[in-house]
Amino acid sequence: MGKNIEIRLSGSGGQGLILAAGILSNAFIAQGRNVAQSQAYEPTSRGGLSRSDLVVSDGEADYPLAHELDYLVILHQVAVTASENMIRDDAIVLTDSKLVTEPPKGKFRLLQLPITETAIKLGNRRIANTIALAALSAIGEFAGREELEKIVTRRSPKPYIDLNRDAFNKGWEMVIQA
Amino acid sequence: MLAKVERKNIQGNEACALGAIAAGCRFFAGYPITPSSEIAHTMSRELPGVGGTFIQMEDEIASMGAVIGASLGGVKAMTATSGPGFSLKQENLGYAAMVEAPCVIANVMRGGPSTGMPTRPGQGDIMQSRWGTHGDHPIIVLAPESVGEVYSETIRAFNLSEALRVPVVVLIDETIGHLLETVDLTPPDPASIIERKWATCDPKDYKPYEITKDRVPAMARPGDGYRAHTTGLTHDETGFPTQDTEKGKNAIGRLLDKLEYHKGKIESYEAIDCDDAETLIVTIGISARAAKRAIKSLRADGIKAGLFRPRTLWPFPEEAMRKAAGKAKTIIVPEMNAGQLIFEVERVIAGKCKTVGVNRYAGDIITPSEIEAAARKVTS
Amino acid sequence: MNMEPHISAEEFDIRQFMRLDLFPHFLCPGCGHGMALRALMWALWEQNISMDKLAVVCGIGCSGRLGAYIDSNTFHTTHGRPLAYATGLALARPDLHVVVITGDGDCLAIGGNHLIHACRRNVNMTCLMLNNEVYGMTGGQVSPTTSPTRYTTTTPYGNAEPVFDACKLAEAAGAGFVGREVTMQVPTLKDLIKQAFDYDGFSFVEIISDCTEIFGRKNQLGESAEMIMSQKASTRPDSYGTRVDEPFRPNSLPTGVLVKTDRLEYRAHQQSLNPKGQK
Repeated sequence: MGKNIEIRLSGSGGQGLILAAGILSNAFIAQGRNVAQSQAYEPTSRGGLSRSDLVVSDGEADYPLAHELDYLVILHQVAVTASENMIRDDAIVLTDSKLVTEPPKGKFRLLQLPITETAIKLGNRRIANTIALAALSAIGEFAGREELEKIVTRRSPKPYIDLNRDAFNKGWEMVIQA
Repeated sequence: MLAKVERKNIQGNEACALGAIAAGCRFFAGYPITPSSEIAHTMSRELPGVGGTFIQMEDEIASMGAVIGASLGGVKAMTATSGPGFSLKQENLGYAAMVEAPCVIANVMRGGPSTGMPTRPGQGDIMQSRWGTHGDHPIIVLAPESVGEVYSETIRAFNLSEALRVPVVVLIDETIGHLLETVDLTPPDPASIIERKWATCDPKDYKPYEITKDRVPAMARPGDGYRAHTTGLTHDETGFPTQDTEKGKNAIGRLLDKLEYHKGKIESYEAIDCDDAETLIVTIGISARAAKRAIKSLRADGIKAGLFRPRTLWPFPEEAMRKAAGKAKTIIVPEMNAGQLIFEVERVIAGKCKTVGVNRYAGDIITPSEIEAAARKVTS
Repeated sequence: MNMEPHISAEEFDIRQFMRLDLFPHFLCPGCGHGMALRALMWALWEQNISMDKLAVVCGIGCSGRLGAYIDSNTFHTTHGRPLAYATGLALARPDLHVVVITGDGDCLAIGGNHLIHACRRNVNMTCLMLNNEVYGMTGGQVSPTTSPTRYTTTTPYGNAEPVFDACKLAEAAGAGFVGREVTMQVPTLKDLIKQAFDYDGFSFVEIISDCTEIFGRKNQLGESAEMIMSQKASTRPDSYGTRVDEPFRPNSLPTGVLVKTDRLEYRAHQQSLNPKGQK
């Protein structure tokens, strides 16, 4: 039994992070792994800190809550403090290069990526979550590109399928180039 | 709808509702309250499809009353709430215990007292779940620690409730209620689902509260011709109120004795690494999950730590805990309150070893490292 | 109502429906609740409702004790909550004929919230509220229907609170059937209860009863006969088309069927909704 993987997607309410975490869960479950997903339930659907945590394990996780993060995505400055003391030294941290002005500091690998900028360029800032999901999955090698793209398009509302697919590909390539 | 077995992520609260339906629950009455509302949401969506009834009542008290009414009508029924609502339900909960109406109450605990922290976890109802209503009364409380266990324990709650005609509380903390975990919801074997014992004798021989060997009287279904009387007043075997203290003693005595007699059926616990444990951790719910992580790292460092987790919280599995604590020098009791479970642990261990509480009561969970630190401190 | 009252008093023997082994009953001499019980049983008999298919749900108080004397499926619940219990029972077992017996304190004070929502919700059952203006069983305290200035054990200087008009309350809360009657005319009360049974939905009947022993004596209202005569004198039969009476009986309470409107019963309404639609 391998070590549990702890992943956090965080940002400001309304950035679609809980949905993205759900998509990532689907990918792990399809691989036969178990996922515990948790999030804070404070009423912060728009603005304010929002986070969704995944603890991925083989079999039921002994402890289902994230407390030593292996992977962290931060899409907004408001989400920095909540996580900065939980990041492992060997973690990978992705932050939005524009909206996170003061990223957390530590020994971990930090990648500042133009996530929101790319989303705006694609025509809808609300697909930043898909870009972040793709970038994180590519770097974490969580799932095959095609397999994950399938889940993203399956979970996407019909009018946004193409947009989400484009966002997914941009996100994936963003990390490969980085 | 439910029969399909599929590995997927579902929330603890949803698992509670689906477990109830799998156990045969066909009536739900509730009132909105965070953090339990998803149980009502799921019930309102799923019950009509299986021929059941969902109703949102005007308040918590009415929800409990409607549940007991449905149960007395012969239908498996449940409600769900959180601390403040659980307090409001207590009088009717006592009525259910007194008239022996099977019913299940899910209490998804938040931080308290009063309105407290509705979206944050707590374990403040450990004592309320046992002693919340007035008078001596039997009650069973189950304390699941995972989404999968919320499902299976809710099924067990219905089975115990039906078999023993006693209200059963499923005590969940907010963390587990809102947590999503990967489960495959294997529907229970239909043979394992228990239905209450219905009266089948000649109506003129029927005694609604007959004192039988198994302490569980057969229940009369309204409409079957038994024309029984049900009252919360102390009643004798006929079901009618009595002022006779001897008859009252026999009736209440049987009620209390019922759970003692069926202890073996009710008791459920998990004991991990207890055989040689010098430091024993006793806890429930999300705090038990943290303890599981803590004992792994303690063991890795050669510290003899073990976990005793009462899955049936009340009646407390005292003999099993005493056995688990056989080698213990210290018992650590982590709980998200200022110290409740520790009282029961101290009662059971009766001074044979030291007890230490790890307490959080303001909406924070207890982390594995806190439990670990407490254990290292007592062993150093 | 144009229906001729069905006087079958001679043929009706209440004893066949009573748990006679529990007699003598515990009501005080002169208490009006016995007449209410007689009217209820008479109505059930005339409607040919089987005691096996009847469920009587009571609250706490003197009214709450009536259920035990009825040889049927009887439920003596908690104070103020019989409507909540009955709602669960009626929804779980629509094959049963559900009757709730409650009192003024049970129904309007501690259980007031359940009454207004039962009226609004319209689950099929009949609620009989026995109004005797007082909490009798607990020792004669003031209730929401105690007349102003009356003395009770908790209004030793007279009652300063106005009276709750239960029928107006029920009507305002949306009850599709509302009626009121005094106990003096048992056949008329019986016919009103029968109409309540016939209503498909929630029906509410206020029965003006008397508490001679605890309330009447304290207020020097006389013996039972005098009390029920004065109740009769202070009401007017609204439903018999005698509104002309009103000027001659100022401040009188109307009796008879006060509200009767067609409403879709709760369960029928719920079942008419498409479970495959919006989730």
